[in-house]
Amino acid sequence: MSTSGNNGQARTYMREPARRVFATEFRESRLQFKAGDDEFSPSYVMLPTGERSNRIFICGIMTQKEKKGDQNMFYTARIRDPTGLFFINAGGYQPEAMQQISQIEEKAYVAVVGKPTVRETPDGSVFVSVRAESVTEIDLETYKCWVDDTAEQTLNRLDAFGSTDDSINAKEFYSTNPEVFRTAVFDALKQIEI
Amino acid sequence: MDFNPEVVERISLKIEEMGVTVDREKVVSKLKLLVSEFGIPVEEAERTVTNELMREYNLTGPGSQSGNTSELKEISDCQPDDWVTVEAKVVSLSIPPSTAIAQKGIADDGSGAIEFVVWEKAKANIPELEERKWYRFESAVIDEFRGAPNMKIHSGTKITLIDEDRPLIPTIAQIANLKPGVASVRVKVMQDWETRHDQMEQTGIVGDETGTIKFVTWKNNNQEKLELDKVYTLYYSTVDEYQGRLSLNLTNAMIMREDGADIEVATGNSSVSGVFIHMGSGSGLIKRCKVEGCTRALSRQNYCPVHEIQNEFRYDLRITGVVDDGQKATNVLIQREETEKLSGIILNKAIEIAENNPLGLDDVFLKMQTNVMGRYVTCKGNDIDGTILVKDIEIMKFSSERHASLLNRAGESLGGAE
Repeated sequence: MSTSGNNGQARTYMREPARRVFATEFRESRLQFKAGDDEFSPSYVMLPTGERSNRIFICGIMTQKEKKGDQNMFYTARIRDPTGLFFINAGGYQPEAMQQISQIEEKAYVAVVGKPTVRETPDGSVFVSVRAESVTEIDLETYKCWVDDTAEQTLNRLDAFGSTDDSINAKEFYSTNPEVFRTAVFDALKQIEI
Repeated sequence: MDFNPEVVERISLKIEEMGVTVDREKVVSKLKLLVSEFGIPVEEAERTVTNELMREYNLTGPGSQSGNTSELKEISDCQPDDWVTVEAKVVSLSIPPSTAIAQKGIADDGSGAIEFVVWEKAKANIPELEERKWYRFESAVIDEFRGAPNMKIHSGTKITLIDEDRPLIPTIAQIANLKPGVASVRVKVMQDWETRHDQMEQTGIVGDETGTIKFVTWKNNNQEKLELDKVYTLYYSTVDEYQGRLSLNLTNAMIMREDGADIEVATGNSSVSGVFIHMGSGSGLIKRCKVEGCTRALSRQNYCPVHEIQNEFRYDLRITGVVDDGQKATNVLIQREETEKLSGIILNKAIEIAENNPLGLDDVFLKMQTNVMGRYVTCKGNDIDGTILVKDIEIMKFSSERHASLLNRAGESLGGAE
């Protein structure tokens, strides 16, 4: 499809790594694609700083937890990181995450592993969210580690921006201005108390 | 058309190289017949069509074209698509997997060993091969089967018995250099796993000075079982490739035990840092089989894959999981001591939770999950076939130095934009 590197890939099953991304970058994601035409080919969301993500790892404070639906019950919640909000959800196909969310109280720090999804709402706007696979309550220390980790990985992506296939595609699709994301990283780091 | 036009082009060029013009339409129609009408795989059809055309134009095959096939070749030099003549000893015979195959076995000429098959159709022209005898194989074809070279004995192959027993020393290969095919290795048994299949006799990991590899022995001919920590020379085991990974199939190998020997196995000290991102279902408090020499994990119904229902068992703690650094996900296996350190739940406490709780073992699993998921860790240990057996685990702490240097890095590159 729209990216290279889908042919000749080994048939071996490799677990997709979970990318580290701040909310402010994640919510700008729009490009969703599948690597290969196979039914089981993984699908990815291209991050604006130029890396494909099939899974992401985020940390933050959980707010606005809500139980929705009757027959097909599901949970939605928001996760606040230093740069903004992530929208997460978990339904019947994510029983583990659903149970976990139901037991965690709002305002707690959580770590979320999940799949990024981009979808268009009926009114034409775009909704970027995370389908949670696992949600765990964590402490402030772990949250601070995540902010540093995410800052570092975002900077690594920005440093490589324009030199990898994915980032060339991202540049073309998003017309990313790297300075904007650098500023976001700097601001995120500043909010952490040493 | 359900095949690539490149195939047509390739066939045509091959024929044209020999000085004949080929009608592309003809190639297409021949291919179409085989692929669409008879459902033959494209690669197979390509070969058939090429051969058919060569016969039509009276051209000679690539094998005989490249010189004399009666020239003696060493097995280690044989490449797929070669027509060869080799003199080799039949070192083992095994049960043919199909009625189209009359005999199947392994031949060795000292330079290397190769699997061979004798087609049922070719049987009329050749003597029945016997183990431990030398033969001269003329005009055999080297083919590739599941990534490994294989010698095909067809109706055009001439086989003569060599009536002398020549000395033969099998080449011992190193694990790091193994390729699909047949190989002899000298190894130490590192792990003996639970078999996951009725037909499987034994499986685990063996290693030598250069690396480690998984092995499998299938049930069929009372093959000797390997004992943990002992050293063996495994003559003529089959090296299989599955999903890009190699494994040794010992079902038909010759196994020689070496008592008192030891090998310093290269396991490589690996280390991975990242987030603990997944905890596998075999984690938490588990029950192990108490039969001597067996430490297999029992299922929920106290079933041991070897010793069946065991009401006597021993509790243990372990975590199987995945550590993810954002670029790569690595499997880790954590034994009791380090599990206690990481999860903060010691064995006695876990037993207490399990025995006084309606959820039992699940409750231990959930508690452990709450304590380890999403945490930053550094795992050190031995990398065995892609999984790190963790010897030491450390929970990473927030580092203000790292934080400061990241602030510098982000701020510096901002330059005037700030």
